[in-house]
Amino acid sequence: MDLINLAVKTIFIENIVLAYFLGMCSFLACSKKIETATGLGMAVICVLGLTVPFNWFIETYFLMEGAMAWTGVQALAALDLSFLNLLSFIAVIACTVQVVEMVLDRFFPKLYHSLGIFLPLITVNCAILGGSLFMVERQYTLAESAVYGVSSGAGFALAIVSIAALRKKIRYSDIPPGLQGLGMTMILTGLMSMAFMCFAGIDL
Amino acid sequence: MKFLLDQLEKVKPLFMPGGKLEKLYPLYEAKDTFLFTPGEVTDRPPHVRGALDTKRMMITVVLALIPCILFGIYNAGHQYNIVNQIPDTGFLDHFTRGAIIVLPIIIVSYAVGGTLELLFCIIRRHEINEGFLVTGMLFPLTLPPTIPLWQVAVGIAFGVVIGKEIFGGTGFNVLNPALTARAFLFFAYPSEITGDNIWTVVKDSENVVDGFTGATPLGLAAVAPEGVDIVEYLKDAGFDWWTMAGGLSGGSIGETAFLACLIGAAVLIISGIGSWRIMTGCVIGLFLGSSLLNLMPEDTFHPFTQLPFHYHLVFGGFAFGAVFMATDPVSSSATLKGKWIYGIMIGLLTVTIRVANPAFPGGVMLAILFMNVMAPVIDHFVLQAHIKSRRKKAREQSLKYVQAQR
Repeated sequence: MDLINLAVKTIFIENIVLAYFLGMCSFLACSKKIETATGLGMAVICVLGLTVPFNWFIETYFLMEGAMAWTGVQALAALDLSFLNLLSFIAVIACTVQVVEMVLDRFFPKLYHSLGIFLPLITVNCAILGGSLFMVERQYTLAESAVYGVSSGAGFALAIVSIAALRKKIRYSDIPPGLQGLGMTMILTGLMSMAFMCFAGIDL
Repeated sequence: MKFLLDQLEKVKPLFMPGGKLEKLYPLYEAKDTFLFTPGEVTDRPPHVRGALDTKRMMITVVLALIPCILFGIYNAGHQYNIVNQIPDTGFLDHFTRGAIIVLPIIIVSYAVGGTLELLFCIIRRHEINEGFLVTGMLFPLTLPPTIPLWQVAVGIAFGVVIGKEIFGGTGFNVLNPALTARAFLFFAYPSEITGDNIWTVVKDSENVVDGFTGATPLGLAAVAPEGVDIVEYLKDAGFDWWTMAGGLSGGSIGETAFLACLIGAAVLIISGIGSWRIMTGCVIGLFLGSSLLNLMPEDTFHPFTQLPFHYHLVFGGFAFGAVFMATDPVSSSATLKGKWIYGIMIGLLTVTIRVANPAFPGGVMLAILFMNVMAPVIDHFVLQAHIKSRRKKAREQSLKYVQAQR
């Protein structure tokens, strides 16, 4: 039950894009077509779902203060390596993205090409790193971090698919020249996050 | 009429290209189409003959709103006279008092919104559209009577500019402009209009902000103590079902009257302007949501979950939202199946937000806004499913044909 609550909360109430405004670059850039947006959403779900639990292992068994007590070596047990958090998380994310990239290239070449540069750029997507950092900050357990990873990815996917659909809807709108393209998308994002505010405050 | 037409024809050259007032052409065009039906038709085919144009459509909505407006005015006065304990007041007193409270709000909304709309039309050179008449009327009806007039102006300005005009005007907006305006006010000035207190104008206060505060039925239900029978609890506070359906209780100007909304719904459905699918969907969603909550064990959850369906129906702004806001043809789903999904989701979300979210007792507005965002996604997937099934059918038929040939 707690896990379901966590999932609902992460997808809707604390949506990683619309409540924290993380991962904006790919959110804005890859939302021109619904198909691309769905693909990127899936990729982000994959990467987040893999990296957050994996980073949990690294954090709990290597980096946290006293994490290496399992080695039984006195000197290691006293170590606090949490200053290496960022470095190791990024490394894990980069590896995972590489794997996802190869899988997409092999099995979904069309999607691979339409995502273009933004697929490798998932590595430095703040939403992905943010997922791992939130996991540390909120001290999730393994199960929680797995659920958190997948559902924050799902939140990202939901947001990017719906903004892609909105952008499709306004494709033929008579938008003032200065606002066409990114400007309008920014305003749409703002309006969307206002609509998502309906969940803010729900206490699960 | 003839005189007016002649006058219009006389000044027409001024506004045509090359004329002195060329820049103000939208203004002329608005007058022309507002008063008469112009003779021009679209210059390129296809032509569809139909009497239903944007003007007629929007005016029908305004007509459907009239019961709500009149009742809203009456109720505002009624509440005022009760709270201030003014003796010997009759129907007419209530009504005039209400008009003094409500009319300025409507006038400000129309004046500010209309000016901005006009400015945009002149600068962007597109036609002024009757759509604003609806937005400018819906918005004040969702406001409490105690709202300061400057907030009305700020809200409608946001709704018209950000909600509609920057998308290119009527027909291009993705969110309902009136709801955008209302939600903007809601988040910008939450202390004044969160919806848990009654808003009634009090006589002695210098400005209308210091309204009389008491709980609305929604606010009451949200804070009901553990373990009480929610229906009895509301009854003790003076809200039984008939009181709320009749609408003589505090709340936003247009939303309290369930019956007035029903009349509006009838007008919209009979004229075919509002989608009955969406309205029915909303009610079904509300029914599903409240029944599900009713099934929950009584003692472990908040008593609000036990509130029966027909109470949810007349509570707060649900009827008003479902009839007038959700059915906005521009921002709702366009596909038929999509309309059902859209409506049902609104109903479900309304109950969820009402019961689960202590921050916003009035859930329907935000539920509709959220579903406005989701409507294009629903449409997309409905269309994809449709294409898939058609393709499958076509394949089967061609297979059959090939087999028959052999």
